[in-house]
Amino acid sequence: MSSAELASRSGCKRTEVMHDDCRTGKGDTMSEAMVKHGALPTAEGGGGSMRHLNALTAVAGGVALAALGWLISHHFMQTDDPETSDQVVLITLGCWAVGFMAGIGAFAGPFRWLLGNDLTHADEMHLAGKDQGVGRYFRFTTDHKVVGVQYLIVTMVLLAVGGTLAMLMRTNLIVPHSNFLGPQTYNSLVGLHGIIMVIATIIMVTGPFGNFILPIMIGARDMAFPRLNALSLWLLVAAVPVLLSAGFMGGIPTGWSAYAPLADQATPGMDGYLMAIVIFAISSAVAGANITTTVLTMRARGMTWTRTPIFVYGVVASVGLALPALPMFMAAQVELAVDRTMEGQFFIASGGGSPWLYQNLFWLFGHPEVYVIVIPAVVALMELTPVFARKPLYNFNAAVLGIVGIVGLSIMVWAHHMYASGWAPDLNGPFMLTTEMISVPTGVLFLVVIGTIWRGRIWTTVAMMSVYAMLWNFIIGGVTGIYLSDVPADYALHGSMFVTAHFHYTLMGAGLTGAIGALYYWFPKMTGRMLSERVGFVSFWLVQIGFNVTFLGMFAVGLAGQPRRVFTYPHMFATGNFISTIGAYFIGIGMLITLYNVISSWRSGLVAPANPWGGKTLEWAVPNPIPLANFEVLPVVISDAYGYGEGDPQPPHWRADPHSPATPELVPAGAGTTISDTEGSPQ
Amino acid sequence: MRPMTITTSMDHMATRTRGFSRRRDVRQVVALWAVLTVLGVVFGLFVPARLMGPPASPTMRGIEDTMTVFSVAAAPVAAVVWAVALYSLLVWRHKGAGPPETDGPALRTSRPAAVLWILLSSVLCVFLLVWGLAEMGSVATAGSRNNPMVVNVTGNQWVWTFDYPDKGGVQSDQLYLPVDQPVVFHVRSKDVIHSFWVVKMGIKVDANPWEVTQTSVVPNKLGTFDIRCAELCGLLHADMETSAHVVSGAGFTQWLQAHGGHA
Ligand code: HEM
Ligand SMILES: [Cu+2]
Ligand SMILES: [Cu+2]
Repeated sequence: MSSAELASRSGCKRTEVMHDDCRTGKGDTMSEAMVKHGALPTAEGGGGSMRHLNALTAVAGGVALAALGWLISHHFMQTDDPETSDQVVLITLGCWAVGFMAGIGAFAGPFRWLLGNDLTHADEMHLAGKDQGVGRYFRFTTDHKVVGVQYLIVTMVLLAVGGTLAMLMRTNLIVPHSNFLGPQTYNSLVGLHGIIMVIATIIMVTGPFGNFILPIMIGARDMAFPRLNALSLWLLVAAVPVLLSAGFMGGIPTGWSAYAPLADQATPGMDGYLMAIVIFAISSAVAGANITTTVLTMRARGMTWTRTPIFVYGVVASVGLALPALPMFMAAQVELAVDRTMEGQFFIASGGGSPWLYQNLFWLFGHPEVYVIVIPAVVALMELTPVFARKPLYNFNAAVLGIVGIVGLSIMVWAHHMYASGWAPDLNGPFMLTTEMISVPTGVLFLVVIGTIWRGRIWTTVAMMSVYAMLWNFIIGGVTGIYLSDVPADYALHGSMFVTAHFHYTLMGAGLTGAIGALYYWFPKMTGRMLSERVGFVSFWLVQIGFNVTFLGMFAVGLAGQPRRVFTYPHMFATGNFISTIGAYFIGIGMLITLYNVISSWRSGLVAPANPWGGKTLEWAVPNPIPLANFEVLPVVISDAYGYGEGDPQPPHWRADPHSPATPELVPAGAGTTISDTEGSPQ
Repeated sequence: MRPMTITTSMDHMATRTRGFSRRRDVRQVVALWAVLTVLGVVFGLFVPARLMGPPASPTMRGIEDTMTVFSVAAAPVAAVVWAVALYSLLVWRHKGAGPPETDGPALRTSRPAAVLWILLSSVLCVFLLVWGLAEMGSVATAGSRNNPMVVNVTGNQWVWTFDYPDKGGVQSDQLYLPVDQPVVFHVRSKDVIHSFWVVKMGIKVDANPWEVTQTSVVPNKLGTFDIRCAELCGLLHADMETSAHVVSGAGFTQWLQAHGGHA
């Protein structure tokens, strides 16, 4: 028995819970059969240097190169000038990222290719994580299902860290002048909480579900670029310690928006922030190109645009919007880095630069970013509403146009964040126009959801209740957004706790709620286990009630005039803040219960049937555990997936593709090309 | 040919709509909508403006009216969504454990609903816009008419300083203003960005170190009001506050003279 086999066997024993082939032991039968018939070489021997690389070697590589970078730069560059310590920090963090990516094996592929060694089939199977048990979750694995689970874990870690910071902040604000954290710590935590949460919520739907579910939903055997998929994930992982390192270097004392000139003067924590943004922007560009290409080119035969599930539109809208938006942010941070370390003066007025340039770049990213977060979350809920209402998605065309309308308008509204900045007051009117216009396509999405619910057979699972929570929270977030779009009203509300409450209602009340609903819905497919509904409802009510208490309290103090990003406040705001902090504890407890539910259900929850909810999209048609290549026989789609109530018994909306390449084993790593490659291959 | 088709389809639509409105659940949803709308309107009329407190300038009065009007206008829309949601939970919910045995009606779309919804939301959107533009116009001219008094506002970490260039250069860390006298503030900063905010007067503009910004107001209420900083400006941003004292014309002259200036 080879060492690889040993590893995978023992991996199986230890982790019977993982969704993979291990649990039932049946997952391998198909491939074993094929091996027996000699159709395929085994995975043994594949992988080359990749066999030895994993998360541990990645961390080792990152730390080693970072240490080297620090030693050299510290020796040659560090002086008393604060600029030089920024240089050293940036070099060290950059070295960490490069070392980490080398250690995980991100460069192995290009390097082998440079040497003229193309990947063999065995290499590809190894890359796809075949027969590696849990080990594959800690490797540069290309299987989109592994990447989806990895994204889920990263999202939960980030939410946990960001949530803990929120608890600390709210505790500091429980009474005026509490001095629990003090101004220095509080200010550095506000920004850290903000950016951690923003990154977590940007990836929370398109990462786990966009990677795991979406390819199956469109009838594909993997993503278009599986290796880019792994690259985007591990870049994200590399960025996380960089971001957290900011917390140990003075934090982000500027708030998450990092406005110059405060950011020019800030401690090296700012370098952690900007380096994390640069890495994250690359990661999301890679992911966005991959998902977009996958959807454009790899939908099942017969899956025309009108038969493509709405969730797919939501994910493409999100990553497609991030594609132009994040580079603005990245450019701004690169310029900030040049300002901080090389007297660049991009944002320094006395040197000919302009802080307003920074503000424009930031919000050119910042506004689209809120839709990058909210659209896929809300659309995930739109995807599950027909399933739990047992009705077709109401007005599919309107849903598509609503999404398109929001995306189109969202890149033309950024300066509503700058009404009171003094920059171009003449543009306030036009930006008010574009901003208020977004309410029309947003309203259309509401129509689609309530139209779907209308006279449905509502099955009130936790996932479905998340739809209701979203309807409540997102209306409040939307209406308060309309106040803020009004220029004079914004003069009164800008920079106050009212704004904070407003965007939490959208990002958390609609966004995070949607992601949690999506988790309850797709968890059975991703892990083979059901999340406990009973525990789920306890946490649902704690979180939703706590959420509304917290942020209604913040609305009140904001209207009364409490600025945001303050570590203390006058006594007149004491009641609202106290209420808000108590509400926050409810959220905290509720979220811990969610976390408990995820962990305990993953390990020992009820084993899920292949289609527990009666969903019609293709991911529910594949068996649990999902075979490595998803479909043994590819589907041909003949209608959309919303045909509830249409004919009894309902005709299936897809059938097996008679032309399907019947060698699903050949797919991973290069799935885009394999289908045609295998067309004529001997069976 | 064509006009006829349209009329027939309109007729058809009208009959369908009449049939629709006779359904019991539709009537109940409408009733629920009416109740929620009334609740929303009452909330809009009494809560937001009240939380903002009594206004100290026509600008703030206008803003509070905006909050009220927008809330009232939003109430019927929010009520549609919440009424359908609530009703579906109360009545259409599948009771009992496990999945529903039957499907709901295969309702794919309904043209009247879509047309009506988009039409109404567009009308509402135009209304918000026109309202906002009109209000913006009146705010812009609020303080700049009739020969306003100029006050220079300077932010630096973490104090505000005010000086009165036409009044003999009086300087103060508290703002004194004569009631009913239009004022223009020339706002700047010595270090990072701050934001000059007189809460109850509804004015706010960033204090930038590289360029002077402007805002104006006509304080119309005697009293002392909070001035805060609305842009994170470093360690003690939270403490960067002072007071605006709105006094009578005579009182203001007195204050100026006591500080070495002239009226
Ligand atoms: C556990 C629930 C949460 C609580 C109790 C909470 C609380 C807070 C508080 C007290 C602030 C400071 C407010 C201010 O001064 O402006 C804040 C800021 C912020 N929060 Fe949260 N938050 C929570 C969840 C989230 C989530 C899920 C997001 C997702 C995007 C988020 C994003 C932000 C952002 C972007 C800021 C602004 C930071 C800044 O001003 O630089 N928060 N939060
Ligand atoms: Cu925006
Ligand atoms: Cu400040």
